[in-house]
Amino acid sequence: MKRFLSITRDPIDEAGLVADRTLSSGMGAAVYFSGVVRGQEGSDAIVALDYSCFVSMAEHQFHRLFDRLAERGSIESVRLVHRIGRVAVGESSLWIEVVSAHRAGAFAACQWVIDEMKQVVPIWKTPVTAANASSPSNPNPTA
Amino acid sequence: MTIQVTFWSYFAELAGCSETVVTVSEATSVDGLLSILYQAHPALAELRRSTLIAVGVEYQDGEYVLKAGDHVSLFPPVQGG
Repeated sequence: MKRFLSITRDPIDEAGLVADRTLSSGMGAAVYFSGVVRGQEGSDAIVALDYSCFVSMAEHQFHRLFDRLAERGSIESVRLVHRIGRVAVGESSLWIEVVSAHRAGAFAACQWVIDEMKQVVPIWKTPVTAANASSPSNPNPTA
Repeated sequence: MTIQVTFWSYFAELAGCSETVVTVSEATSVDGLLSILYQAHPALAELRRSTLIAVGVEYQDGEYVLKAGDHVSLFPPVQGG
């Protein structure tokens, strides 16, 4: 199974990622999901989310998830980009694509990776309101 | 032996620092290290039930026996996506 992982402070170039897609002739499904920062966090209006990350562990845990995904045998590729740092409302913080022979497997795999990520990958988010937007975005020096 | 500890996310604010070094005896478990850390950083003790612990880049439980050079991380539930 091919895999691509990027944890980045840069905006996610969704059009570029889609343009770079490759799939073999046996593949019939390319499912991708873009997670976008909402303007509400609970009942509070926000302007952004600050994402912090334990990068080396996050990369390791993502690859462990990809290893488990590969064991399913029907997935040709997975590509995942997660933004860290400050991500404004309306911007994408997560982009994931799964290529598989059939849509059911691709949808299920995409959902599975996101669900598992939210259990084990050390990334955290802090709401940014208009009032605290000038505060530093990252309490950890290595994230 | 000394163990390097990193506090992630808002745990750094609760601890008052993002990193510390703790001296422990040989064969100290993660639980033993936590007892020392909670004495020094009592605000973290209140969140012990939801605290996640890693040694290096792997999750570990309280029974894990620490080795010289281990790097322990404490952090709250993760929130990616």
